[in-house]
Amino acid sequence: MSLIEEIRQTVIDGQAKLVVPKVEQALAEGIAPETILHDGLISAMQEVGRLFEEGEYFVPEMLIAARAMKAALAILQPLLVDQGVEPLGRVVIGTVKGDLHDIGKSLVAMMLEGAGFQVVDLGVDVAPERFVEELQRGADIVAMSALLTTTMPNMRTTIEAIEAAGLRNQAVILVGGAPVTPAYATEIGADGYAPDASSAVRVARQLTGK
Amino acid sequence: MTEIAFQPIGRRIAVQPGTTLLEAAQDAGVALSAVCGGAGVCGDCRVRVLQGRVSRLNDVERDHLTEAEQASGLRLACQTIVEAADTVVVDVPRESLSASQRSQVEGEELPLPVDPPIAVYDLAVTPPSVDDLRGDWERVRGIDPAQWQPSALVLADLPTIARAHGWRARMIAHGRHIAAFLPPDAEPLGFAVDVGTTGLAAYLVSLKSGDTLGIAGATNPQIAYGEDVMARLTFAARDRHGAQRLQTAIVDGLNDLLHEVCRQGGVPPSRVVEAVAVGNTAMHHLLLGLPTEQLGTAPYVPAVCAAMLTPARDLGLRLAPGALLYLPPNVAGFVGADHVAMLLATETAEQPGITLALDIGTNTEISINAHGQLWSCSTASGPAFEGAHIRDGMRAADGAIERVIWQDGALHWLTINHAPPVGLCGSGILDAVAMLRAGGVISEMGAMTRDHPAVQGENHNLWYEIVPARRTGHGRAVGLSRADINEVQLAKAAIRAGIKLLTERAGLSESEIDRVIVSGAFGNYIDLENAIAIGMFPALPLERFRQVGNAAGIGAKRLLVNAGERERAAALVARLRYIELTNHPDFTDRFSQAVKLTPDPWD
Repeated sequence: MSLIEEIRQTVIDGQAKLVVPKVEQALAEGIAPETILHDGLISAMQEVGRLFEEGEYFVPEMLIAARAMKAALAILQPLLVDQGVEPLGRVVIGTVKGDLHDIGKSLVAMMLEGAGFQVVDLGVDVAPERFVEELQRGADIVAMSALLTTTMPNMRTTIEAIEAAGLRNQAVILVGGAPVTPAYATEIGADGYAPDASSAVRVARQLTGK
Repeated sequence: MTEIAFQPIGRRIAVQPGTTLLEAAQDAGVALSAVCGGAGVCGDCRVRVLQGRVSRLNDVERDHLTEAEQASGLRLACQTIVEAADTVVVDVPRESLSASQRSQVEGEELPLPVDPPIAVYDLAVTPPSVDDLRGDWERVRGIDPAQWQPSALVLADLPTIARAHGWRARMIAHGRHIAAFLPPDAEPLGFAVDVGTTGLAAYLVSLKSGDTLGIAGATNPQIAYGEDVMARLTFAARDRHGAQRLQTAIVDGLNDLLHEVCRQGGVPPSRVVEAVAVGNTAMHHLLLGLPTEQLGTAPYVPAVCAAMLTPARDLGLRLAPGALLYLPPNVAGFVGADHVAMLLATETAEQPGITLALDIGTNTEISINAHGQLWSCSTASGPAFEGAHIRDGMRAADGAIERVIWQDGALHWLTINHAPPVGLCGSGILDAVAMLRAGGVISEMGAMTRDHPAVQGENHNLWYEIVPARRTGHGRAVGLSRADINEVQLAKAAIRAGIKLLTERAGLSESEIDRVIVSGAFGNYIDLENAIAIGMFPALPLERFRQVGNAAGIGAKRLLVNAGERERAAALVARLRYIELTNHPDFTDRFSQAVKLTPDPWD
């Protein structure tokens, strides 16, 4: 197995501790950071997504793999920036105002990162103004999560705030979370809906044509 | 109006056309399981319409019911709307009912002197005569009536009691507030109750001896309106009379328990002169009728944190006419007075060294006392250990598998009351996961192998058959699926991540913890070795763990019997530092590691 393949497999298996020395070794051997990113990490997370959609992987395996991917990406990131490697797009993500649910949103953020997007994670309980503020710095996707029926309406409020700021055409809006349905996404004027972290990547790619 | 008859329970109710079957069931007191509170998300409220006209099957129902289930006439009660008809007959399958919980009321008690917040005054009343035509109250001796202001409701008992008992009576007062007039020599009693989201535990206590005279447990009747805190807060916010209906439900439930414990003690409820209720912040607010909107949305602040002392009659509790109800202080939106009561009962704050105290439930509250410094947090462990979202999960009731062992290459089981198995309760679910891991049927990540004869299912929908259909109580196989294991991993990861972040905040490592106090219904029954094996608890020597039962209920009793405990509660809350985990920068990372089924998940 080549070193890149080893990195890929280590991420799929979720071994954060093992992936870091392997990435360092690859860099020492002169493999381009971009190659490690694409053929190692992104390819691994694609496989993780596939395994999840097939029902082979569940959330725990996905979390553990995403964590390994993040550990590797932390090493590559500064090098990628130095070499001017462009991300697939910029994503602003957060759980809407009034909602403190973190894990689902973080998993989506990590999967998007693992697909090659640059992700700005605003965290939980994010006010509409914070989404607008970050969107003003430029973004291709705004992704919102809500886990409560009581906080779901804040997705609509956020979209309205983006419209009011005249930024609605700048980015596509993606929504998700347990109580959210495709019908609700359409009703509030979102561009896309994803039921889980893996399909979020697919929808994000479709909507941005990447 | 349309009459709805729920079978086989035999409850009937008349409702307006346009009402859903779930609403009708709730009004009729049929405890239909509705985890989501009727939002069409959980798919639990399954019923069959045997007769009468109702709305047609909608898309939400098609999503939740297989074609075979649809063909068998199953419907979701929350989606089925009553149309004009003479009678609608609805069959409620047993598994759609919120199973009555095995009452969880026992707990470990530490010694405490009796020093109640009420005082007893023995009164004599001068008989009236032509020379003394003053009122009964004015003729009282033993106190100076002019110094007291009894309410009409309380005073109403005095003339009867004095005349029936040779012009003697007993006055019970809380400070300057008169709680009751009792017959002379009548022992003043107290009522302590732990208002859990799922279960209620009530105690009748002598305020003279401190003895417990009656104990009873029941399911929280609010469960018909949603199984978890959020579902109830949603119901309170969405339904116009939601909050009021929830309050009525809990007050009725408490009155039933009061009646039961008084029956056990052979005394009338009018002898109960003081009460204590502990519960999480949502239960606290719903009981008191405080607004809950701000509890359901971040940053989740309570209407009040301070201890409350309020006339019990104002809430509809049928105690002595002037009895006061005390509720200890809340810590934060998700750490309520029940956790404070638990910390009091276990004397967590007084322990030397490092003590970790956990109350495991849908939300798990954790506190750490590190050499006198106190921190607490709340973590969303979910309802998996209460049997929700688990294929064959159920609450601890007859026929629930409560123990599972691995022997000769397969799982063996034991049910509550040795009834034929019908599902798994929390301790059984935890055992099954640990044993399947020990037997190599599942991996550290929770993935299930196909290479075991008991593993069934197609593609990736694998499940382990614990009991074949021919040996169960309902003729369907009982098992544990990969998806169930996933739920357990997420639940235990939330608990372990909470423990880890709390110890880190105190500047400690998990191995330095001197003692772990585990309270709550589920916590009392779990096998500690298995809990350690799957990484729910740190791998500490077993002798450092103490399973203390319903410590919140015992804490409520202490707050009833000893007034000093109320001061301790206030002092404790002032010392506790609350840590919000959801926006903690390390939470996702710790949680992601803690999902692994291993005693030490940390890199």
